[in-house]
Amino acid sequence: MSEKKKSYLTGKEIRAIAKENAKIIKRLEAYKNRKAEEAEFLTQMHDDANILEIDDLHTFFFTEQGVVKAVNGVSYSVPKNAVVGVVGESGCGKSVTSMSVMRLIQGPAGQIVDGSIRFKSHEYKRDAKGEPVKDENGNYEMEDKVYDIAKMPISEIHRIRGKQVAMIFQEPMTSLNPVFTIGQQLDEVTFIHTPGATKEMAKAKSEEMLRLVGIIPENVYNAFPHELSGGMRQRVMIAMALAAEPRLIIADEPTTALDVTIQAQILDLLQDIKNKIDGSILLITHDLGVIAEMADFVVVMYAGKVIEQGTVYEIFQNPMHPYTVGLQKSKPTMTLDDGVELYNIPGNVPNPINMPDHCYFKERCAKCTAKCSGEYPGMIQVSPTHYVACHLYNEEDSNNG
Amino acid sequence: MAEEILNAPQYDDAALEKEYLEKRKAQIEEDYKEPFDPDVVLEVRHLRKCFPMKKTITGKVTKELVAVDDVSFKLKAGETLGIVGESGCGKTTTGRAILKLHEPTAGQIIFDGKDITHYNSSQMRSIRKQMQIIFQDPYSSLPPRSTVGGILSEPVEVHKIVPKDQVKNYVLELMDKCGLRDYYYERYPHEFSGGQRQRICIARALSVNPKLVICDEPVSALDVSIQAQIINLLKKLQRERNLAYVFISHDLSVVKFISDKIGVMYLGAMMEFGTKEDIFRNPLHPYTKALFSAVPNPDPTAKTERIKLEGDIPSPANPPKGCRFHTRCPYAKEVCKHVPPEYKEYEEGHFAACHLLDGE
Repeated sequence: MSEKKKSYLTGKEIRAIAKENAKIIKRLEAYKNRKAEEAEFLTQMHDDANILEIDDLHTFFFTEQGVVKAVNGVSYSVPKNAVVGVVGESGCGKSVTSMSVMRLIQGPAGQIVDGSIRFKSHEYKRDAKGEPVKDENGNYEMEDKVYDIAKMPISEIHRIRGKQVAMIFQEPMTSLNPVFTIGQQLDEVTFIHTPGATKEMAKAKSEEMLRLVGIIPENVYNAFPHELSGGMRQRVMIAMALAAEPRLIIADEPTTALDVTIQAQILDLLQDIKNKIDGSILLITHDLGVIAEMADFVVVMYAGKVIEQGTVYEIFQNPMHPYTVGLQKSKPTMTLDDGVELYNIPGNVPNPINMPDHCYFKERCAKCTAKCSGEYPGMIQVSPTHYVACHLYNEEDSNNG
Repeated sequence: MAEEILNAPQYDDAALEKEYLEKRKAQIEEDYKEPFDPDVVLEVRHLRKCFPMKKTITGKVTKELVAVDDVSFKLKAGETLGIVGESGCGKTTTGRAILKLHEPTAGQIIFDGKDITHYNSSQMRSIRKQMQIIFQDPYSSLPPRSTVGGILSEPVEVHKIVPKDQVKNYVLELMDKCGLRDYYYERYPHEFSGGQRQRICIARALSVNPKLVICDEPVSALDVSIQAQIINLLKKLQRERNLAYVFISHDLSVVKFISDKIGVMYLGAMMEFGTKEDIFRNPLHPYTKALFSAVPNPDPTAKTERIKLEGDIPSPANPPKGCRFHTRCPYAKEVCKHVPPEYKEYEEGHFAACHLLDGE
């Protein structure tokens, strides 16, 4: 019955938590809404081949029941022209990480508490007044800048959101505005992000983007979202994300709401587009099959932490963390033999409030040792690209040398 | 080129449709007369379900949506029938029509040797305890204001499964079988995760000792690791109680794992039906082949040859003439656009509806 006691809080406790939260939220909100000079959030990339580096990111939700550490020290990077797949179960923080990159975390409860998100943007060179600078030939000059998104005040976020980093959401039904035509919504992207854009330019750009995603523009440009099927809507979402020529596309479960045959079409399209544009894709999904087909690098998350990362071959052919192994074994595949019992990971994901100090996977892990009750395991490097956070491999390392 | 067009067979759509309907009517009448097979728990013959779309002021239906069109199958005790298909193909409507949650428009439903198609609601009540359903969304299918104990005891009391003083023990035993701890008895559904709630739904369905359980996407809303737990639980319970399942899902790998027989549906009609071995080793219908090849393979080294389907699923309100699949079929011929293919047996117990199989 001790478990029952734990799941309830008294009114007094809730009030104490609320008071504590209010203090922290006030400080973080003030930091978010501050006015800042550009120099304050300009930084340098640690590795120049990367386009995005997430470094020890902490995004917390301050709720009445306590602090939910949705993202608790996540680090990974997205190299140029690569597809990085983030995989994990619901509530593991994969979406919250990507929302943090876009600074779309719903405040005041949700806040980026610590860490940095370094992003290399390629943008119009601007003078002191913020007007774009033209060179002798009358073309706009471009320059590379590295921003720390986590430190940017919210008023400056328009520099990257939509223009440099675009997002494709899971629900194409709810992400399009039902009262505007597809054309109006696509044109808006060009108007906002291209200086001196005219109506004709915007329309030409929108039609080009629609053609790129395999839609005949004449049929769709003047249509409303409800007139399109789910697959078509997701194509429009992709066209919209591409219209500003972003350097990074975040695709958050882009095919989860679609049927398999339509999913296959959309995945082919994303693959195709990746080759056509000069950018990277951060693909977030819970479907291991999609990851295996699309990604170059894989990040496996569990309960707000990265537990394993590496190239797609390393993760699928030589998974090391017991959770990654279990996840792959518990998915029935088309090639599985008949009659065998499906492997399953016992138990549930731990309660996100009051996480234990030891490894979060300990209670569900079949290979758990005495060492696992100790502190949370650090990231161990197994190959130049393969990292795992598990005590099992730490021990082996120390035995070997 | 010109000669080819001139010599091409001419199709009179209206006449063909008339001929097809007459032929089908004769076939249906003949099938209805067949005696019931005593080994079979559930037999569905030519099930059809239409929903009215437009009505005149007097209530006469002028336009119909045919959600399920001519679906037939047999299911024995201890067997699982998997129904797969894309959204809008009528798989859920089929499941609900079997339970008579939707009144079937035409066809016969034979459950346990009795034709229940025309049973009224009070006659259905005695049948209901033998056929149960598990829904997709465990969050909305449990009453929020009653405890787990209450949820599980109610059907037991209503159907008088055990004497009143034994109800609690019976429910606790059932909870144990479904992997629910005994102290959950006093708890409310909101205190549980999705996987636990789905266990409660399964326990509720099994509380009345049914012979047949319709599982309508029971694992689609769950995470992969929880999905495996629920699938194993369903399989264990089937072995223990000799249950028959109708397992409706859009996830082909799950259906392959759990089913003995598989039916592939497209726009309301059964495209292919057979045992799991038949369907997976030797798929006959091009739609089945395309559907299987579209499933992403969790092995980065395997490069499967994918059969691409162009375009979207046509609206079920306005299905294409001839073969329903011809608008997306990579092998469609002229005949497919006009003549609906016959659903017939190609190997023993392996049915399909496709012109290409007739060979010319």
